Amino acid sequence: MTSDSIDKTDSTPLLEVKNLGVSFFTPRGTVRAVRDASFTVRRGEVVGLVGESGCGKSTVAYSIMGYLPGIVQVDGEILYDGRDLVGIDESELESLRGNRIAMVYQDPQTSLNPTMKIGPQMEEVLKTHLNLGKQEIRAKAIELFESVGLASPDTIGERYPHELSGGMQQRVVIALALACEPDLLIMDEPTTGLDVTTEATILDLIVDLKDRVNAGILFVSHNLGVIARVADRVTVMYASQTVEDAQVRSIFNSPQHPYTAGLLSCVPKPANELGITPRLKSIPGSVFEARLEAGNECLFAPRCPIAKDECTQNAPQISTTDDHRVRCFFPEEVTPDIWGELKPRRDFEADDDSVVIQADDLNVRYRSRQGKKYILFGDEAQPPVRAVVDANFKVTKSRTLGIVGESGSGKSTTARALIGLTQKSSGSMRLNGDELETDSTDRTSEQRADLRMVFQNPTASLNPKLPIKHAITRSLKLFGDLDNQAAYDEARALLEAVGLNPDYIERIPSELSGGEQQRVALASAFAANPKAILADEAVSALDVSVQAQVLNLLLRNQQENETSFVFISHDLGVVRYVSDDIMVMYAGHVAEQGPADDVLSSPSHPYTEALLSAAPEPDPDATPSRIRLDGAVPTMRERFTGCFFADRCHRKIDNRCDEVEPPAQAGNSPDHIIRCHIPVDELAT
Amino acid sequence: MIEKASVTPPLFVRIKDIFKPFTNAFKTPAGRIGLPLVILHVLLAVFGSYLAPYSPTDFSDATYVRPFTDATEGSIPHILGTDQFGRDVFSRLLSGARSIILISAIGSILGVALGTAIGMSSGYLGGKSDEIIMRIADGLMSFPSLLLALLVLSVSDSLVWLDGVSSVFATGKESLLVIGTMAIVHAPRVARVLRSATLTIKTQEYVDSARLRGESAYYIIFKEILPNALPVLAVEGSVRFSYAILLASSLGFLGLGVEPPSPDWGAMISDSRSILTRAPWVPLAPAAAVASLVVGVNLLTEGIRDAQKLPTELPE
Repeated sequence: MTSDSIDKTDSTPLLEVKNLGVSFFTPRGTVRAVRDASFTVRRGEVVGLVGESGCGKSTVAYSIMGYLPGIVQVDGEILYDGRDLVGIDESELESLRGNRIAMVYQDPQTSLNPTMKIGPQMEEVLKTHLNLGKQEIRAKAIELFESVGLASPDTIGERYPHELSGGMQQRVVIALALACEPDLLIMDEPTTGLDVTTEATILDLIVDLKDRVNAGILFVSHNLGVIARVADRVTVMYASQTVEDAQVRSIFNSPQHPYTAGLLSCVPKPANELGITPRLKSIPGSVFEARLEAGNECLFAPRCPIAKDECTQNAPQISTTDDHRVRCFFPEEVTPDIWGELKPRRDFEADDDSVVIQADDLNVRYRSRQGKKYILFGDEAQPPVRAVVDANFKVTKSRTLGIVGESGSGKSTTARALIGLTQKSSGSMRLNGDELETDSTDRTSEQRADLRMVFQNPTASLNPKLPIKHAITRSLKLFGDLDNQAAYDEARALLEAVGLNPDYIERIPSELSGGEQQRVALASAFAANPKAILADEAVSALDVSVQAQVLNLLLRNQQENETSFVFISHDLGVVRYVSDDIMVMYAGHVAEQGPADDVLSSPSHPYTEALLSAAPEPDPDATPSRIRLDGAVPTMRERFTGCFFADRCHRKIDNRCDEVEPPAQAGNSPDHIIRCHIPVDELAT
Repeated sequence: MIEKASVTPPLFVRIKDIFKPFTNAFKTPAGRIGLPLVILHVLLAVFGSYLAPYSPTDFSDATYVRPFTDATEGSIPHILGTDQFGRDVFSRLLSGARSIILISAIGSILGVALGTAIGMSSGYLGGKSDEIIMRIADGLMSFPSLLLALLVLSVSDSLVWLDGVSSVFATGKESLLVIGTMAIVHAPRVARVLRSATLTIKTQEYVDSARLRGESAYYIIFKEILPNALPVLAVEGSVRFSYAILLASSLGFLGLGVEPPSPDWGAMISDSRSILTRAPWVPLAPAAAVASLVVGVNLLTEGIRDAQKLPTELPE
């Protein structure tokens, strides 16, 4: 930083957003993307802007940059260094962007030019904004690459964006944003597309930058754990309004708005002192839509557990005096219990030991499309990719096996092999003791009915051109042998059971929200009472309040129908919440598996350890553990030797790790297996 | 195992969905010009021969009558004049619309239907059969369509069995051959496009879901994939129709596929090209008719394509 930069303790606001309102005029009507947002960003401070999708967080960020497309009306004030940015000249704004205000977007791939090397991209930015010579620019670029923690900063400029991993790309984007030493850095979901271990390193970088760079950071995220990790202050948005704004600790420890309290109780947390995982509470209903005109009422009242008559007769204003500002008439009534009493995760114990799903030495290889070395003859040009290697697991009745791992770990492939969408290469899969054919189409109708799957993206798993009843009634007709009328009635009952209005039955998917679509997908999976359901990232695309609803729905179905689940997620918190057993996968290999409590406690596989310490907890006082992984999950090809985790392991011991396959060791219990060369008692330390 | 027969056969594509691309296209500038032009031509094809003021084939003494002038007192004016044999150009134009539009429409519909079925099945099933089908399609596509049509028509006399077929449809053998050629020429091109659309759509999870329910390949292709490929199909169908018109009029111009003296736009241009300087209206009228039809169809295609980029529900 330059030496004349302002003192850190300076508390005059750098950015002051006052009663910001943004309306888009579209052919389909006015959209109030932001109704009333107010918050402040000071130098050296990270302000977290949090809320569910459709709450206007990104629009706030974009309106500060002046990037608002279409016919738009902006009300209120955006004071930057005392100057109002609303209605400012485009040329004046242009000089602020990049120089004084910089932005980091969600997807680094779209922010970087794929045809240009990293170095020239950086030099271009420096040339535009700074008056420096060629040598100085080069030196400055290297310095910037170094400051964001890129390895070998002097040579990285010679590489193209596609040669870098997602985490490195995001570092480059942050370096580009820092290039002109901005006063204000706006980050819009900068870690959302990244794996959890990479996310942790980027968050470390942001926390570190906050101390080094004398800038204010506005950090937009939907993830409360991430916000708790980086933010000093938090602004919560609901239905395009700021509903609460306070220091990060006040927000997380004593929320005063019922919505904030609700959001926090929707996030899965570790078991408490008594070893009981508290059941997630859920916020009923859905977000007040931006296209609706607000009356004189509290927009949260329809979903609020403590709503009174006054809430529907008057619109609460955000308090202006206190340091903890809140838009609610009764903030003193907000306690942790307003969203329901603390209950255990589920009120039954699975004691039936009959095995529902069993996989023995399951292997999946992906063959290269390039074919043979000499067109038709010779070895294959590239050896097959080891997608799943020797996976052994079983799921007993009404229990849940959670599979966790980063992208590329083979967890989805395992599910797809089980369900028969991906060909297994060897090994056996059994359902209720009967061998399953490799391909879904070769299985019997009963087997297909007993083993169902829920996909990640509800928008993609429902046919956009067909009414939602289609998927449900077809399942019922094919599996349950029902006639049209019976299937129709049953489909309505199923929709009701997953908490949807049965009159939605004739709607097409685009007329439903993401959460509602996923409920339809669940209803169709629940049709004809399956014995087991594979849920592949089934809640990953959903907002946290909807995620809680869906998770509880799954647990209820498990209780009522004794269903077994295989629950796949990259989110350790979610897996921890639903699972009885956990399997940790890395690059196609099972690193660790066993009962959930054993896997989550010491001794752990180094990878599990890294995953646990990377997972952001929604608690600002949680001490971030320091185990960080560099790089990304590699693609393992055939004829590979040594430990699958060796090149990223922080506890690598000696050559054995590179040369010998790690043995399976028993951990806390005979069912708890850790694949590592380090002896178990050493792993425990 | 539950019998599949207990499942009622589905109605694959709703009629409403077929018209949707066209009604949406009308909301775009290109479609607003194209759709009325196409409808006008279709109306001509249906009612043209009844509206014709003169017989399209009878010769008269009033040769080379200029457009908009009266040949003889008290008679109906020759709006577009007469040709070298005294035939009313306007009447011939009206009467000729039906054959060209009908032949092109049937030819392209057959081609699109055949291509859709082949392309979607090939794309969905994949593997070796897909490879073989696509190489055959490549082979067919490398053959110039006009040459193929000429080849087929040149052997038409030896195809005796066709006489029976043509008498059933009460039409000339040549017309059937032209339609058949169009279907064969267009099918591989349509198949290619629909195959690639299918390849994209089949990776969607709702297709996986259907497979996991145990739906048949036939059901998945036509019930799950086809409705999502309709926008592509509408564009492709319109493009094929405009090519079919050009092929039909080219063949007419070469004197193939029509039985003289019945009016045919291509043949009309060919017959009168020698009198272009003396009576330019005679060849220009059918040329303009072909051109406006092809332009109309192309604009409609453009409109359909544009409408797909717009939000699905456009404001009225």
